[in-house]
Amino acid sequence: MKRSKRTCASASLGLAFGVTVMACAGGSGRPRTFSTDWLDDQGKSIGEVQARLKGTRPSPTSDVVLAVAGAKSEKLLGVPLSGAPPWAFSHAMDARPVLAGGVAIGSGGGELFALDAATGKKLWSRLSGGLALIGAGDDGVVTALTLSRGTGSTILIVDRSGHVAREIETDKQAGDPAVVGGVVFVPWANQYVSAIDASSGDELGRVTVRDKVSRALTIGGALYFGEVAILRFDDQIRRASQGGASRVVIPARELPGTPRLLVPGTEKQPAGATARDRDRLFARPSAPEGPLGIDSGRFYASYFCLVLGFDAGLGQLTWVHTHASDVIGGEAVRGGVLLCDEEGGITVLDSRSGQVSHTASFGEPIQSCVAHADTYQAPQSREVGTSLAKQVTEAVTNREATLVTAQRLLLRELALVSEESATKTLIDIASDPRAAPLLVADARAAIATRRNGITAMLASLGKHYDFLRDVLLSPPVGPIADALEAMKESKGAPLLASHLVDPANTDDDLRRAAAALATLASKEELPLLRRFFAMYRSSGEVDDVGLAVASAAEAILRLDPKAGRALIERATKDPMTGNAARARLEVLLTAAPGALQVK
Amino acid sequence: MRLTCFAWFVCLASPTLALALEANAAAQEATEAKSLKPAPAVTRVDVRPIVAKLKTAEAQRIQEALDEARLAGPAAAAAAPSIAEAVALGLSLPLTQFAVETLGELESDAGTAVLTQYAVHRNTKVRRAAVKALTRTKGPAAIVALEHALADSDALVRGTAASGLGAMKAKTTVGELFLALDHRVNEAAVSIGQLCNPEQCEKLASKLGKLSFDVVTGGLDQVLFRPAVEVSDDAKVKVLGRIREQGTIEGNKFLKEIQKRAVAPAFSARVRQAIDQAVLATAGGVK
Repeated sequence: MKRSKRTCASASLGLAFGVTVMACAGGSGRPRTFSTDWLDDQGKSIGEVQARLKGTRPSPTSDVVLAVAGAKSEKLLGVPLSGAPPWAFSHAMDARPVLAGGVAIGSGGGELFALDAATGKKLWSRLSGGLALIGAGDDGVVTALTLSRGTGSTILIVDRSGHVAREIETDKQAGDPAVVGGVVFVPWANQYVSAIDASSGDELGRVTVRDKVSRALTIGGALYFGEVAILRFDDQIRRASQGGASRVVIPARELPGTPRLLVPGTEKQPAGATARDRDRLFARPSAPEGPLGIDSGRFYASYFCLVLGFDAGLGQLTWVHTHASDVIGGEAVRGGVLLCDEEGGITVLDSRSGQVSHTASFGEPIQSCVAHADTYQAPQSREVGTSLAKQVTEAVTNREATLVTAQRLLLRELALVSEESATKTLIDIASDPRAAPLLVADARAAIATRRNGITAMLASLGKHYDFLRDVLLSPPVGPIADALEAMKESKGAPLLASHLVDPANTDDDLRRAAAALATLASKEELPLLRRFFAMYRSSGEVDDVGLAVASAAEAILRLDPKAGRALIERATKDPMTGNAARARLEVLLTAAPGALQVK
Repeated sequence: MRLTCFAWFVCLASPTLALALEANAAAQEATEAKSLKPAPAVTRVDVRPIVAKLKTAEAQRIQEALDEARLAGPAAAAAAPSIAEAVALGLSLPLTQFAVETLGELESDAGTAVLTQYAVHRNTKVRRAAVKALTRTKGPAAIVALEHALADSDALVRGTAASGLGAMKAKTTVGELFLALDHRVNEAAVSIGQLCNPEQCEKLASKLGKLSFDVVTGGLDQVLFRPAVEVSDDAKVKVLGRIREQGTIEGNKFLKEIQKRAVAPAFSARVRQAIDQAVLATAGGVK
């Protein structure tokens, strides 16, 4: 067993690997490994590492999708995106597999194992000592694995034969590592990334990151650090502690649920997908060089069976994909997003349109999925696709109860779409007795703000509650009345008037319909207005009805000033007129010119 | 009263239906009384004091007027236009309901127009009262209003309307009554039984096994007891055949009840024979 000369602390191995034990080390001008007394060197040490590795790209590429399958999570399935044959490997799985370069790392049955990610061929296996697999990186020569010990971490550096070349133990929580050119990059303490020489275990450099960081990733030939934001390891990395690194972040905007772009690299991921896997964000850094952005200008959010595509610049919703089953994993790829569903389907969506551009399958239902794509490019879909309004409509009319959170968001998005069909969709939802109450409320609020879709509004007002014909929810009379009034659309007046005498409408709808009629009604509606006024001036039980009576009176007064005034004055003097209505009628008479006293 | 709880199991199994049957029976009795006997001379009361009180616009006085009119019943029918006018101008909620009920008591078609308006009042009690009153004031407008009320959101309004349409012999509404029956407005069955033509009666009988037995036979009972000029013996025998086909104990009980009441000359020998055979055939019926 080889022991480092600079060992300054160590802990019990707990693993019978028979390899070098090292906890921390220090050298001239370099931080001691995982030391917390290190003073930020303004990027000097990490700059040196970057200079040393300049031109060194993570050598192996990996374009593969892995899934844990089987009722007891006893299978690992691989589908290479290159079109190579899929593979299966039987092994107990107690953690989510990790794709590290061209290697698939698994954990279960008391051991760690590595497979060739392209073929499923077993490379090596080792006892895990009961430690939980957290993450792994690989540069084609060595694989670095982070294992959690509960109160600290163990980092193993393993060569292709399975020989543990080095083991580093620390009391710090280390995150998901990456390996480039023999240097292991280990995020830790949510703010540092230490660059450790794989052969010596020495910390070569360290960078302090201003965003929370727990993952080091190789994507498309470049190295990145991140969790909340993504930082590229390039010649700007030395400026990271001053916030000057090449950095990209997803624009802040409302999203369904609380999706995460990157799961914290210090968390053990269970073999099977959890609720958090159904609520994810996907984005891919744009390129290894040049200004750092988001690939294709798109980021993606999944929420159960819905996938939303957003503009990476402004955060605007650009498309919605409704999937046949719940999405439980995936990865942003060049030109699109790759998704795995619980039925074992693999679907690639075109970033521009959200249309399906490629499909594949694991051939059976899966428990969870991980994907990595270095060079894979999503094919461009030939489908034009439907309008955003129609895509949203499909999503919000889905009956799946778990979707309500996303559907509410989409309804708000729909309210911003200027197409008339959006108005119709909102009305359909607000009129659907099977729709979730929260959705109905949102749809009603949105309808009131619409300034188009008059045809749909009038068609809706033409409907009334009808028990025999299964129309068990009145149309959204109030919101439509608001919209028609704002648009000064008098065509709706006869229909609104008919709703004054429909007892199935809510008090709120009644009040708003009457308010709209105060400005929209014509003489054609006078008989119904008079009838309503008479019926409810004395027997309106609630304030909304009283307000509606006052609005009806306003319309009557406008359309028939002489007789109308007489009617209203009589009503104010009638002791049976309700107090709330009377007060409003008196205000109305005072405000209206041309008093005609009735005795 | 011929129809009141003619079949005890109907009344026990379906209180709503029992109520409907009672309402129908009352209506039918009234109709029969009109057709069989000369209409009794109604002693008209002097409604001028009632009308005078109605015009005071004082709640107490209006209440008194309505009390007096209600007490007089149809004899105070001449007050109906004034009550209708008071309702149309607007009364407090309790007075509205009372006035609506009073219009029903007066049984004057002068009340129909305003009652049709209040049959869609926002207050459920007022709506129920108006629909019930319309079944007594009658007239084409009442039929339209009751047909509309079949689709009301309130089950009692729907049921009252369904019963009323049967009592009012509104044959044009049988289609809507079937729709109501399919939507569990059970009161519609009896009305359909009162109104159906042979094809419609057959359609009602075809509901056996699909809807509650008590509900359907409530209507079929009406069919069997209608005069031959309305429902032919052929149609009645077909209905009996449908019940017989069920081969159930409850079918046998129902047929036995019919057998007890099916006497000549209202029932032809052929129909009585069909009943007897059906009773025998279903004697060992399944539950």
